[in-house]
Amino acid sequence: MAGAFAAFSFPFSTSEAQGIMGGHVTGNVQWDGQMSRRDSVIGASDVPEKILSNARADILYTNGNFSAGLRYEGYLGPMLGFDSKYSGQGIANYFVSYKTQDFAVTAGHFYEQFGNGMTLRAYEDRFLGIDNALRGIGVMYRPFRGITLKGVLGQQRYYWETRGLVRGVDGEVSLNDLVESWSEAKTRLTLGASFVSKYEGDETVMSDIPGYKLQLPKNVGAGAVRIDLASGGFGLQAEYARKGQDPSMMNNYIYKPGEALWVSASYSQKGLSANIQAKRVDNMCFKSVRSESGEMLYINYTPAITKQHTYAFLSMYPYATQSTGEMGLQGDFMYKFKKETLLGGKYGTDVHLNASLITGLDTTIVGGKGTDGYTSSFFGTGETFYGDVSLEIAKKLSSKLKLTATYGYVLFNPVVEAHAGDIHHNHVLIADLTWKINRKNVLRFEAEWMGSDSKYTAEVDDKRCGDWIMGLVEYNFTSSWFLSLSDQYAYNDGVGNYYNISVGYTKGATRLQVGYGKQREGIICIGGVCRNVPASNGLTFSLTTSF
Amino acid sequence: MKRFFISLSIIFFATAALVSCDKIEQQSDGTYTVYAGAVGEWNAGQGVADKSQRALLEKFTGVRCNNCPTADEQIATTLDNYAGKLIAISIHDSISSFCNPYPNSLDLRTAVGTSWSEGFGRTTSSPSPAALVNRMKKDGSYDIFYSFSSLSTYIDPIISQDAKVAIGVAAARNNGSLDVTVDLEFLESLSDKLTVTLAVIEDGLIATQLLPDGHTRDTAYVHNHILRGVVTDVWGADVDCTGAAGEKRVALFSTSNVNPEWNLDNCHIVAFVSKKENREVLNVAECEIE
Amino acid sequence: MKRIILTFAATLLFGMAMAQNAKLPENVTIKTLDGKTVETSVIQNDGKPMIISFWATWCKPCNRELNAIKEVYEDWQAETGVKLVAISIDDARSSAKVRPHVDGNGWEYEVYLDPNQDFKRAMNVVNVPHTFLVNGKGEIVWQHTAYVDGSEDELFELVKKLANGEEI
Repeated sequence: MAGAFAAFSFPFSTSEAQGIMGGHVTGNVQWDGQMSRRDSVIGASDVPEKILSNARADILYTNGNFSAGLRYEGYLGPMLGFDSKYSGQGIANYFVSYKTQDFAVTAGHFYEQFGNGMTLRAYEDRFLGIDNALRGIGVMYRPFRGITLKGVLGQQRYYWETRGLVRGVDGEVSLNDLVESWSEAKTRLTLGASFVSKYEGDETVMSDIPGYKLQLPKNVGAGAVRIDLASGGFGLQAEYARKGQDPSMMNNYIYKPGEALWVSASYSQKGLSANIQAKRVDNMCFKSVRSESGEMLYINYTPAITKQHTYAFLSMYPYATQSTGEMGLQGDFMYKFKKETLLGGKYGTDVHLNASLITGLDTTIVGGKGTDGYTSSFFGTGETFYGDVSLEIAKKLSSKLKLTATYGYVLFNPVVEAHAGDIHHNHVLIADLTWKINRKNVLRFEAEWMGSDSKYTAEVDDKRCGDWIMGLVEYNFTSSWFLSLSDQYAYNDGVGNYYNISVGYTKGATRLQVGYGKQREGIICIGGVCRNVPASNGLTFSLTTSF
Repeated sequence: MKRFFISLSIIFFATAALVSCDKIEQQSDGTYTVYAGAVGEWNAGQGVADKSQRALLEKFTGVRCNNCPTADEQIATTLDNYAGKLIAISIHDSISSFCNPYPNSLDLRTAVGTSWSEGFGRTTSSPSPAALVNRMKKDGSYDIFYSFSSLSTYIDPIISQDAKVAIGVAAARNNGSLDVTVDLEFLESLSDKLTVTLAVIEDGLIATQLLPDGHTRDTAYVHNHILRGVVTDVWGADVDCTGAAGEKRVALFSTSNVNPEWNLDNCHIVAFVSKKENREVLNVAECEIE
Repeated sequence: MKRIILTFAATLLFGMAMAQNAKLPENVTIKTLDGKTVETSVIQNDGKPMIISFWATWCKPCNRELNAIKEVYEDWQAETGVKLVAISIDDARSSAKVRPHVDGNGWEYEVYLDPNQDFKRAMNVVNVPHTFLVNGKGEIVWQHTAYVDGSEDELFELVKKLANGEEI
């Protein structure tokens, strides 16, 4: 380490080095920590380390077409909800990359997505503790204008190790770029195809029949085709993927091929938009290690199509794609009542309507482990997993007051979180009022109510059950300081009283936030990927900065 | 530039083709499993898909037997005619002087061949070529016959019946040893004690052979169905079963005594189930070695 | 290995000491709303300042910020020639909703998708909203994370300074 400091102090005196080095160094640092004390009501337990912290720093060097990066990660006592396999510290990610307009090559850790990610999506979500970066080599090549070819070869990150072996190719054609006479066409059409394969050696996995073991495929492939069509205000996007025999822990070692279809159609013009999405996923879980059941080593990603709610009670029951099988339909509608109209009033009114319904597949069981598992009809639906309807009306009441009122209905089947219990039916009302006192002082109030037919029972121990109310007050002084106080309280048929106080300070790209209170146990989801977070009770802090 | 693009694209899609996926074949019972029980131990099995009745033809022959090539031709034709219903084994033993190898030629004799010939009552004076179908007995002794033109009279009565027991076999190389899995499915109840014998049979062996003219030695004569060894004991392994109709049994046999002279790519396994008491073959199957 | 890392870290620190205002990266791959793959070099404003705003459809403060600026955007453009480029970090779950979302809100911004989050990483964005100011030379001169109602006024003060050629 002393060597690094010596080198650090040295260049200040050599001004001519600037020309040699040229490039730029940027980076970001994030440090989160928490202390938690036992609270038997919400189920929080003592932390033997007293303080848990996750830290990371990315350093990125760019010089023209060349770039390189390093990432330090330190989990000195991984925070609650992060797998204990993260425990430790070190350089978790490093890469070098060379990229021109038509050619790129990256060696080391990299992230990549083919199409919508149905065959391959190497990505990270630092808040969920998910990082399935590929470590290997990735190339991109554009032989002609309008054609992009990509290839990847690598192993996937598994906490502090790498596992599996993933190979993939992707091709994309933008017809408007490829065909000269279409270059100015109003209709834009992009077609793509991808193929991804993983290799894994043989192992002994016994079947349910005594004395028999499974014949495991060493190479498992998945392929997909996609289309992206836009014409005027209309848009159509679709992707269809298939996967070969892939017996794994996740699908109870069945051999049925996987399949997924996703279609999105939209129409929009200024002040009005409508979007409808449909999806069918059947046995499409694709991991690079067949025995891995945790949240790591996913090769692909099948997006959840339900709306990503942000208000506490609407997002209390988040929905994640059941990659073993589901069907879904979702619609979004947005309309803006213009200023100076009957419904628009002086400032205009925004209306946003969303509805979704997710069900299981209509399946017929044909066997257990080591068989095809089940058959499914393409259009048939099974039990209801999730449904929601929400109507959000945002209206500026005066130059100082802005109100967003929301009604939501959520239907949730606990089977999607693999636990028992009846279907929950919840009604949610939210009022979100922003009061801009003056240029420097802004107050925000949020009141939420949730009425549910669910009742808390000790056997099921789902602490979301019951009827809830919540209040939140947030005070902002310019964009630098904020103070927020909130409380969620189960006033009927439930347990828990979750209060929280947080203070934050932001300057430029640096943000420090300190909070004290109780955190509900539950599933947090970002981008349709979810992680279970245990309850905590105590102090949390978070520091982020970019430079 | 265009050529560069084309070659790059070819590499690109060749890579895609190379990294394709494996396809595991589905078993008759709908599973994708393979038997992996302890060696020599009989367990409940998953049954046999092909329930046909086949016949086993054992031929006693010799490189110094000038009528044997004619018999080989007749057998080859018969095998074609029966299209999988007949399985042949060619036995060279140390009893008959017809089997003494010519100098600088491959010795096709085996210890197991000698034991079998001896067991069937062959002596130094027994004529060759000779044949035995399903190890059947007639008047208390093995019904060995010498006329290859009347093979069908021995085979037809056997294969025209429904099988009492179906047999299936699969074989694979496994780190220098040879693993053979045998499945039995009882279609009728059988009270006899049974054995299963697994023979390693090689095709395409070159050894000097005396031709029908009585003096020409063909140094490039191709011998097929040659018995090379057994994975079980010489007279087979006992089957642990009740013999009730519908019963399905499976066992794994393994040998690490794979003779380096055997070319396993040209070998197959012949498996037959027989009555322990009189050695009568009830059914037979063969398979390639993976 | 340790030695390599140390050398590399030293090189980076060395470079950091030399760094002037970082330029906006030019060759990071992003997508237009109609599905076309482009490089970040398309983000240009003829020597006038630019606001680069990272946002997502599901991010409430981002939407408040972009809606607030929408009200005054015409005035801002007329006065300073500034252009706002909105980079959506929505992933496959919601990227198809970005275009309807932009139109439905009546935004007149130049909007790009960053589904693989390459641009987000290149710009060291941790949370959204994260807003950058880029001067006429394509240099990143200011950045801020988080949005509070009214802070668009502070942003515009800085834009005006930039348009007048003042340092920030």
